Amino acid sequence: MQNLVDGILTGSYISLAAIGLTLVMHILRFANFSHAELLSVGAYAALVFDKAFAAVFPIAATKLAPLSLTLALLAAIVVSMAFTGATAILIDRLVFRRVRDKGNELSMVFASFGMALVMRNLIALGFGLHSQLYSRDIAFAVILSRDPLILVKPDQVFVLGAALVLMAALHLVLTRTTFGFALRAVAENPALAQVNGVDLGRMIAATWVIAGMLAAAAGVFYGLSYQLIPIMGRDLVLPVFAATIVGGIGSVYGAVLGGFIVGIASNLALLVLPSGYSPAVPFLLILAVLILRPNGLFGEARA
Amino acid sequence: MIGLISYLVFFATVASILAIAVLGLNLQWGNTGLFNGGVVAFFGAGAYGTLILGSPALEGQLGGFELAYPLALTGGMVAAALLAWAVGALTLRLRHDYLAIATFGVAVAFESLMRNAEWLAGGAKGIRGFERPLRAALGDGFLYNLAFLGFVLCLLVAVYLFLERLVGSPFGRLLRAIREDEDAARSLGKRPARVRLVAFVTGSAIMGLAGGLYASFYAFVSPQDILPVLTFQIWAMLIVGGAGNNRGAIMGTVLIWGAWTGSGWALSRFAPIEAQLYTGSIQFVMIGAVIVGMLLWRPQGLFPERLVVSQSGRSN
Amino acid sequence: MPVTTKTRAGLTLGLALGLGALAPAAVAQDCTTKIGAVLPTSVDWGRPIAEVAQFAVDQVNEAGGAAGCKIEMVLRDTQVDPKVGVDAAKALVDLEGVKLLLGAVSSGVSMPILTSVTVPAGVPQFSCCSSSTAFTKLAEEGKTNGLWFRTFATTAVQSAVAAKVARDKGYKTVAVLYKNDDWGQDMARLIAADFAAVGVEVVANVAINDAQPSYRAEVTEALAAQPEALYLALYPVEGTSAVREWISLGGTQNMIVANSLKSDEFRDNVGLQYLGNTLGTDTASPRSDSADAFRTRYVERFGSEPNGPGLANSYDATMIALLAMEAAGPDASGADIAAAVPRVTDPAGTRVSADAAGFAAAKEVLAGGGTVMYDGGTGNVRFDANGDVSAPAVVWSFAEGGIDEVEYLSLDDVNGFIASLR
Repeated sequence: MQNLVDGILTGSYISLAAIGLTLVMHILRFANFSHAELLSVGAYAALVFDKAFAAVFPIAATKLAPLSLTLALLAAIVVSMAFTGATAILIDRLVFRRVRDKGNELSMVFASFGMALVMRNLIALGFGLHSQLYSRDIAFAVILSRDPLILVKPDQVFVLGAALVLMAALHLVLTRTTFGFALRAVAENPALAQVNGVDLGRMIAATWVIAGMLAAAAGVFYGLSYQLIPIMGRDLVLPVFAATIVGGIGSVYGAVLGGFIVGIASNLALLVLPSGYSPAVPFLLILAVLILRPNGLFGEARA
Repeated sequence: MIGLISYLVFFATVASILAIAVLGLNLQWGNTGLFNGGVVAFFGAGAYGTLILGSPALEGQLGGFELAYPLALTGGMVAAALLAWAVGALTLRLRHDYLAIATFGVAVAFESLMRNAEWLAGGAKGIRGFERPLRAALGDGFLYNLAFLGFVLCLLVAVYLFLERLVGSPFGRLLRAIREDEDAARSLGKRPARVRLVAFVTGSAIMGLAGGLYASFYAFVSPQDILPVLTFQIWAMLIVGGAGNNRGAIMGTVLIWGAWTGSGWALSRFAPIEAQLYTGSIQFVMIGAVIVGMLLWRPQGLFPERLVVSQSGRSN
Repeated sequence: MPVTTKTRAGLTLGLALGLGALAPAAVAQDCTTKIGAVLPTSVDWGRPIAEVAQFAVDQVNEAGGAAGCKIEMVLRDTQVDPKVGVDAAKALVDLEGVKLLLGAVSSGVSMPILTSVTVPAGVPQFSCCSSSTAFTKLAEEGKTNGLWFRTFATTAVQSAVAAKVARDKGYKTVAVLYKNDDWGQDMARLIAADFAAVGVEVVANVAINDAQPSYRAEVTEALAAQPEALYLALYPVEGTSAVREWISLGGTQNMIVANSLKSDEFRDNVGLQYLGNTLGTDTASPRSDSADAFRTRYVERFGSEPNGPGLANSYDATMIALLAMEAAGPDASGADIAAAVPRVTDPAGTRVSADAAGFAAAKEVLAGGGTVMYDGGTGNVRFDANGDVSAPAVVWSFAEGGIDEVEYLSLDDVNGFIASLR
């Protein structure tokens, strides 16, 4: 039981990151290996803004019990989301758009690999290789039930709640606004959407902003639960990809579900396998899903 | 001077071994359109297979067969081919991104198995003690490295010629036909699934050969040799060189491996001493920038695929 | 000609040895000898290891250099990728012409460097931190040609002392979290045997893999066994993550940790208030006047204690390598340098401290044909025929200002206790 609850809680930030990735993969049609680096950008940006806010408004640095979250960090998350969204557009303008104009899908994939190396190591140069924390205090878990024993950390419940709120907001944007329709139209058929007067460039920029903002939130939530290290993007890229693929590329709801599935799978895995094998488990699960459903749970066959 | 030659021989050996793996990948991706994200699994199967078959017995782990080198190397290729056959049978109906992540998963699982199963492959400490072939006759030094380079180059040329002939043959045209339009190929009575599996297994066996050469050159293999970064390196070599073109694949290997190692050399020589501690991170930034820069400059690679009209088409 | 450097070197020596020591310093300034280092500077725990190696080189230069020349350390990153590390080592040996090589950290990188670069080229290789037992086996088979040295005391000492701590504390059940690499796997195996020998039961033995985003599941598994104490053979990054998780889930704060977690980063990120019942093990300096030199100089230079995986080991590897180079004299071959190592780690020799003054003193003794005993940061290092070291041990605890020593075990104590386990 504990493993199941843990899985749902860890799944929430994977889901957030996977939504952004699935949108990018669907609309821009390439597997973006630098996506997880946007999580690092967001997490480290929030660290900087958090310190800045706490210094300017000392009152904001008090904790909102029982969370280890402060008002300063909450504000920093919002600013960091904007910052990361802007970073994502900037990287697109500088690199991906140019490669897209001339190259094919695979050039994009490897350009993103290269960008991931650059971003990760620039962060390492700027912030050092050691791990950092938003708060050094350890937030103790609360006992949810004694039999079976279930422990949860308040922070993780907050993360789950915040992730669900962000997902709901995205859902409303995609289904209730003209902008949402346009975005979905571009995803379905870019050429047709353009004929109908949708500005493709703007839609691509919007995709990056959404992906960057959600990635920033996911990065901060990850940092809040664990720790910040420059290589966190490298550690997270695989679970996030796994979630995207299991859910089916292009399906926002699939990505959400995929995130939770990957989270639960990695937590349940140790019940059957020695812990040395844990890195392999999410992938074996994906293998199983793909053998049964070759386009993921919610994906559609695409040429 | 002798130092420079000795280093270049060493560099060329590693680059040639990697080039063999890149050629294997080119058959899978460049010619057949199979997105193999688990190159390192097949490379590793060859490396481990060769050393397990060729090494003296080690306490508590499989091995001690001490087969003659050509047999051990062939055994490594067979191990890679068998793994590819099993993986291919399960996953080859997946397309592109899905196939990539599935095969990537296979590679992660393979590394996990090698890292944890001590009875099989020594666990994290790996397999040591392999006697390099003809060491008694050639010694350990420059002469040996030169001879080994010659051997690797012969195999590289053999693989290159084999693939060039294969690609120019009716089978090669069939591969491209399936890559471009599977339904059309099927309508002509071809069996795409089977053909793809053959290409996948052949390419993987070539990667296994590279892995076997790699492990026997170092006389050692451990799970650290089969981390996902190798898959990325080999792919970067192919994409920068030009997918679908065997010459491009080889040039891409030299270029990327040269940039990968040369950047470290240049930094150690020219960066100020205060910056030396940070050169590791700076080097990765440079490597990333070279790859991105190459793709901005020539997105199709140095040598794009030459789509030639077939023999019969030309004669008309 | 940098006059200031010369003056400063002279001053240090003058303070240490009296004016007579100025003579060797004066001859050393005109030439530069390159030594090679292949260390993972792009990895969190690797960069400080490289930094401390450079620090040792600086101290040697302060003492006027080695073998008549200033020393320049050419540093290459291994990226923890064997191919990259081997290529870097080969370039250092062939292109830079280094006569000795420091590194690497991971056994999986050190091993191919040893078999395909340093042994064929006859260059001695000094590793701070490669722990694999495979090196001992290789040396026993005579395949290292006496060119392999490591300042990493075998894992047996760590695990035996940990067993002693568990027994003395009266723990009955212990859960083990170990890093899933060659060092961690060795530790886990030894710990299980040694704990059993003193009547402590290992109720969970959980591997912690590198680069996992979360260790929640692993911690939950260890927690389910409800141990009285936790043993950790981890590095600071995953150690911090796992221990914070462990404590937040209400796991016991009775912990025994390996020396890799003797780190300020780990202490600060977990929080001293949770580490009150934590005891660590480490190899130690012998009780002599000069033994504290490394620590003192390190604090002067970096403003913090030398706490972190491999720091003292890296310092000693560099110092011993350069002492051996000095002992072998100018224009010595790699094999000569390797052969000179016993002259600088001779138990009967003159004791020298681990700093510039000690190096200068050693030069005096060596110039006179004598032998020295280097009292290093990890203890009075002594290599056996296979290039392995043994050393005294210490039990320590985390404290406000750094690390407090709880118990000291001499080399004889350690060996006696290990013998009692078998």
